[in-house]
Amino acid sequence: MKITARTRETSSEQARVLLERRAERLREKPRDGADEEAVLWAAEFPVGEDSYALPLDALRAAVPLRMVTSVPLSPPHVIGILRFQGQILTAMSLSSLLGGRGWREDPAVLLVVDPGLGGRLVALDCERIPKPVSIPLALVEQARSRSSEAVIEVTLPGLKQLNLIDLKRLLDRRVQETRG
Amino acid sequence: MMDDFLAQLLPGFVDESAEIVERLTQHLIELEKAHDKTRFDDLARGLHTLKGSSATLGLEELSDLAHKMEDVVLPLRGKDIALPGAVADAVLATLDVWLANLRATNNKTELPALAPSVQLLESLRALVGAPPPKKNGSHVGAAQTPAQAAPAPAPAAHPAAKEAPPPPVAATPAAPAPEAEEAEPAQAEEAGSWRVRTRDVVALLHEVERLREVRLRVDERRRELDRTLAALTRLGMLAQTAEVRGQLAGVQRALASDGEEAADIVASMEEGLKAITTLPMRTILEPLRRTVRDVCKTTGKLARLSVVGGEVSLDRRILESLRGPLVHLVRNAVDHGIESPEVREGRGKHREGALVIRVEQQGNMLFIEVSDDGGGLDNARIKQVAIERNIVPTAEAEAMLPAQLHQLIFRNGFSTRGTVTEVSGRGVGMDVVRNEVQALQGHVEVQSTPGQGSRFLLSLPADLGSSPVLVVRCGEHQLGLPMSAIETSLLARFDEVKTSRERIQLVHREELLPLADLGALVGLRQAEQPQEGQPLLVLQSQGKRVALAVDEVIGDLELAIRPLPPEVRELPAYQGAATLARGELLLIVRPDWIAGLERKASAIASSRRALVVDDSLTARALHRTALEAGGYVVHTASNGRQALEQLRHASYDVLVVDIGMEEMDGFELTRAIRKKPEIAQVPVVLVSAHDSAADRQRGSEAGADAFLSKKECVSGRLVAEVSAVVARKQGAA
Repeated sequence: MKITARTRETSSEQARVLLERRAERLREKPRDGADEEAVLWAAEFPVGEDSYALPLDALRAAVPLRMVTSVPLSPPHVIGILRFQGQILTAMSLSSLLGGRGWREDPAVLLVVDPGLGGRLVALDCERIPKPVSIPLALVEQARSRSSEAVIEVTLPGLKQLNLIDLKRLLDRRVQETRG
Repeated sequence: MMDDFLAQLLPGFVDESAEIVERLTQHLIELEKAHDKTRFDDLARGLHTLKGSSATLGLEELSDLAHKMEDVVLPLRGKDIALPGAVADAVLATLDVWLANLRATNNKTELPALAPSVQLLESLRALVGAPPPKKNGSHVGAAQTPAQAAPAPAPAAHPAAKEAPPPPVAATPAAPAPEAEEAEPAQAEEAGSWRVRTRDVVALLHEVERLREVRLRVDERRRELDRTLAALTRLGMLAQTAEVRGQLAGVQRALASDGEEAADIVASMEEGLKAITTLPMRTILEPLRRTVRDVCKTTGKLARLSVVGGEVSLDRRILESLRGPLVHLVRNAVDHGIESPEVREGRGKHREGALVIRVEQQGNMLFIEVSDDGGGLDNARIKQVAIERNIVPTAEAEAMLPAQLHQLIFRNGFSTRGTVTEVSGRGVGMDVVRNEVQALQGHVEVQSTPGQGSRFLLSLPADLGSSPVLVVRCGEHQLGLPMSAIETSLLARFDEVKTSRERIQLVHREELLPLADLGALVGLRQAEQPQEGQPLLVLQSQGKRVALAVDEVIGDLELAIRPLPPEVRELPAYQGAATLARGELLLIVRPDWIAGLERKASAIASSRRALVVDDSLTARALHRTALEAGGYVVHTASNGRQALEQLRHASYDVLVVDIGMEEMDGFELTRAIRKKPEIAQVPVVLVSAHDSAADRQRGSEAGADAFLSKKECVSGRLVAEVSAVVARKQGAA
């Protein structure tokens, strides 16, 4: 299967170290002001023109999008499979899972996430390394009360729109669609 | 209430007891057929061990119950007769209850009642000539200390035998002290054993797998060094480079030696881990003899179970998961498959049905075959039930071939039994078998011949071991094929390839074989006739032989095949994936999928075809998502050169091309296409991450028909643009 090295080996290694450091930083929740208001920590990233977020707890690593083996005959949202810490994971296109959004940059990063499927990990492509954001829980609950979809729209202070993804629901929905 | 120390011993006692009960079950089944002194003695020893050990742990009721089993068994010692069926039934049933009670005690769950078993055993005392029971409770007194209770010296010292020795027991010579003989190795083993958490062992397994990959990488480095040396030699200057070449040759030899040593270490570690993590299959197969016996008793049939390959060791977790499916298969084989003795005689068969379980490990694939020589699956009945229960529409059922009908038995709730019996008819059998095997990333196949029997084949990946795999290339993709399915490889010759409107065939050894293009089968490209000299493989699977065209045969490797993750596991085309030397994964194609494929060339030919050319995997996935939703058959290429290669052999209705590719960018590819008369008319839609007027202008000058930025590539927009371009071209033509 074709393997595309997007950069030379040396810079890939540097990128890997950098990405690991960033993922580590993302996992460390900032403490300042944490006790002021109940918040949900999330990893925010762009998909095309819109901002999306995943609960930070679900994020396991951010790795370069390399060494992915495409799987002919797989559903279109499946980019391929890759090895991660001894496991074989499925890499999926988040944009495709979300229904085919446009994108600004070809994703170069894979987010390894735990969608809450019994410890099984999956990888999602991402245009940029996510940044940590805190979302007031009250706003999340408010959005959830309005919608039970896999992606809920949260309006942050300053009227910024953030699409919060419920990964388990998103993947379950995809499985049902594939089987249906 | 058991004290803490004894409670700690309980899990170990459960395991030990389960093994003893399993052994005693086999003895009872055989002793029921014919007397065997060795088996009888071991049965007596086993019962005595259960009694003594449970008393040691303060489980007095269980100790009592074991004693009551002895009471109905020991009076038969020395009698050269088969164990009466009633005694075997009662002791087997009691052993089940005994073990269930012990497990419940360990799990702190509700305890199964022992009283019915006690009554059952009491009712048999007269039959075997045992004395009436003592009125005052336990044989092993509550006040007795563990030390007193545990080492019961010998069957001859049995309390019941002392109190009222019936003639058969008294006539028996004293047996050697069996517990003392058995305890020693058991204790030694206990002293030399460790408790290890499963996840630690699994982590170690993964490390061994990594080591195997390191070994492959060492091989790869050695090959790189070969190439370097060859390049150096080609440069000439042999005198000037002699020293360097000498050094490199030394490193090359050292690497080869290190590679071999690493291979030995991997093999040795795998063997060690195998010993830790596996148990022989017979541990779950032997108890099936009891299942066969019980179902035969219930149904009035006769059947004998033979096991081949019971010594094959398997991961304990897999073994545990296989227990249920195998019980289902065996029960079904006796209840549904094997005919009554009278019917079998009428059909010229032996009165006793033959049930065979054959286990074989090939590399890291395990094959378990359960076959019987019964009546086979009743196709008419399956069809009738499928229609009655609306499992398939009548017209569909009527048109089904036998092999398709056989697949219906795996549907949820399917049963051809009219009524629910003790053995079957609940419709929860074969679907459970399939689900459980699939949960192990395995596969179930069924073959059945009316009047001759049925054969179920379970194929499963095993954790340890490696399989020989042939690595081939189709376009830019590498794929693996299990070597076990490859009959031969050859080069295509025009005079041996026969092409008709519907199919392509290969004349091979005076036989016409269907010939398919592997790349087309897995949807990478359009089917094409093989070129002169193109590599062909002849595969055989499930009794079928097919020829397969590939672009290159890269070579064979010993690889560990792992299951695919759940999101792609249901794809029938793949057996799994294996890790190559550089860490990339290789998909292993399932030969039975290739052999079983029905050619659907006409359906594909009638669809609109798009070729997506983009060096980004995700971009290709996104374009595919959109275009397939819009009704296109999508093939992909990761660079301009590959796209031109695909265009040489196949026609497309439209190309979606990324501008920013390395080597040959989208503009260059478009210009190259426009220069070739045979493909110059194909519509090209250029896609760019940047939306600049300059790019649009360059695209137009290169001959592109449309331009889209990637942020505009939402599903509807891309399909609309592509369709508009195709319509414009067709209109112009």
